[in-house]
Amino acid sequence: MASITLKNMNKIYANGVSAVREVSLDIRDGEFMILLGPSGCGKSTTLRMIAGLETITSGELLIGERRVNDVDPAERDIAIVFQNYALYPHMTVADNLGFGLKLRGVAREEIDRRRDRIAAMLGIEPLLARKPSQLSGGQRQRVALGRALVREPQAFLLDEPLSNLDAKLRATMRTELIKLHRNLGTTIVHVTHDQVEAMTMGERICIMKDGEIIQVGAPMDVYRNPTNTFVAGFLASPPMNLLEGRLDASSNGAIDAVIGDARLQIPASLAAGFQTHHGKAVIIGLRPEDFHLSASAARHAVELIVVAITTEVLGPEVILVANLAHARGPEVQIRMPRDFLAKPDEAVKLYFDLSQIQIFDATTTRALPRQASK
Amino acid sequence: MNQSLTIEAANRRFGWFMSAPSLALLFAVILFPVFWALFTSVHDYTLITPNFDNFTGAANYVEAVNTPEFRHSLLLTTMFVAGVVAIEFVLGFIVALMLNSVERFKPIYYGILLCPLLMNPVIVGLIWRMFLHPSLGIVNYLLSVAGVEPVNWLGSTKVAIWTIIMVDIWHQVSFMIVLLLAGLSALPKEPYEAARVDGAGTIRAFLHITLPLMGPVIMVTLLIRLIFAVKTYDLVYIMTRGGPGTSTDFISYFIYRTAFVSLNIGEASAMSAILLSLILLLTGYLYRYMRTLT
Repeated sequence: MASITLKNMNKIYANGVSAVREVSLDIRDGEFMILLGPSGCGKSTTLRMIAGLETITSGELLIGERRVNDVDPAERDIAIVFQNYALYPHMTVADNLGFGLKLRGVAREEIDRRRDRIAAMLGIEPLLARKPSQLSGGQRQRVALGRALVREPQAFLLDEPLSNLDAKLRATMRTELIKLHRNLGTTIVHVTHDQVEAMTMGERICIMKDGEIIQVGAPMDVYRNPTNTFVAGFLASPPMNLLEGRLDASSNGAIDAVIGDARLQIPASLAAGFQTHHGKAVIIGLRPEDFHLSASAARHAVELIVVAITTEVLGPEVILVANLAHARGPEVQIRMPRDFLAKPDEAVKLYFDLSQIQIFDATTTRALPRQASK
Repeated sequence: MNQSLTIEAANRRFGWFMSAPSLALLFAVILFPVFWALFTSVHDYTLITPNFDNFTGAANYVEAVNTPEFRHSLLLTTMFVAGVVAIEFVLGFIVALMLNSVERFKPIYYGILLCPLLMNPVIVGLIWRMFLHPSLGIVNYLLSVAGVEPVNWLGSTKVAIWTIIMVDIWHQVSFMIVLLLAGLSALPKEPYEAARVDGAGTIRAFLHITLPLMGPVIMVTLLIRLIFAVKTYDLVYIMTRGGPGTSTDFISYFIYRTAFVSLNIGEASAMSAILLSLILLLTGYLYRYMRTLT
């Protein structure tokens, strides 16, 4: 097991495209780290640089204490699971699992022993004699995972390993990967564009955009304190409502967040971080689950009227799509309990929990520091 | 159930209907001549007495096998085929591997490579006969510039077969390159990356990934090239006429001589039938062997 350290890593392709810019990240020994971002954000390139499949244009990469910039992938002692599994199509499952060990000159009996143990662990023993073309997607995924596990490497690199699975299988494999990590304790770097995977699996999430790291932190930390509007809008589904507005000074040091005709008075105790932006244009972030039907459910409730457009019944909850304040107000998505009902154009009185409000600078899109409410 | 059966039957009928013209053509120009030749091979049919009056059974076959020249040309052809196919395959694979990693100017390389392949074998033979002329040819001139004694390329019994092999390689190696290159560029990239992480270097990736994945393509390429090499006739006809002596008297050329010089069509047909069955055997064997590999 080993830590992985990225220092100011850059990747510029031969055609001049800069895929990764100044990426610095400390992945701790035994950590489950998620690289999250939309497609083309450089997360896969970063992973491939760690694996050694892409050269590092500049910067440093350390696995453990060793600088591995120019070390061959085989010598880095890492294993990678590819999105499309990349199994050897002409080999049986057993040979796929044993190939890496065979290349490393491990003795036959040892290969058989380790292979059988991993096969038992992943429940793929009955498949050992088959070829990849005779396996289902989920089975291939397990074999690809097994091929990585059997090597007992210092770290696992997972490149969107679940994205080719159907939703149900994906959920199962998510849990299995978490269990696996708990049992092995090996460092895992998991690349995904799926924020559910990121939230549920990672010990820490590293969010990337346009080749740069935007924010690194524990899932709930990133969720509660997004560093900018990109992170706020990317995590969770439905995402945070990001509404253009303005901050006005109010009495007693309170601040009014003005969104169209709606006015949310933020008490002085919560508004300390926002004082710099009096009268300025801001982006106001309201999480869908911070709207409540009763004032008592919120810590710092403020009354709001919304006009229903439609409701999406999901089963465990209802997503209310509505206009804020009146029918021409900005559109918001609101998470409601499962028995909630509203007709189109019906005005609904809700309470927003001001302790959860997020304010972003309109030009830099960076979050203003929020005073944590006790 | 019944309805689906009738639909299936109608589909089948339509299929036969659509393929009938090409089947008829195939029958007329391929199957019919083959059967005609087989029919001729069991008769005493010569161009002097061109009739099917005398049924001779296996006599022509026995005669052919007992002819030393026939056995000699079979052996010679085997040597030639083994030589050209092996050398062209190795050479072609090396060039294909190199071209596969080339990023720029690929179409230009393709264009140059395809040039010899586009030429008629007769033209190739004529060109090379001029190049290789003992006293007037450019090859011997260049050798003399380098201080090498002139070589009697086509007039020496020891050298002539190698000259034919060399010219055939010049002419046909691009066929191997193009086919193998097509196979290589269709290989998936991912297993190579997996193999790199698993610890395979270039050579082991080639042995454990490229070769097995290329199995079917290699099989087809070898088969096609092999069958064509067995039939080599025009090069010999233009360059050596089977000579000097019988040193390049390949089987196709020998059959031609039996039929149209010795005018013994019946025996020539028997030889063709023997050749055909040999090729069929070889093809079947190779096909089954390669299928066990993949």
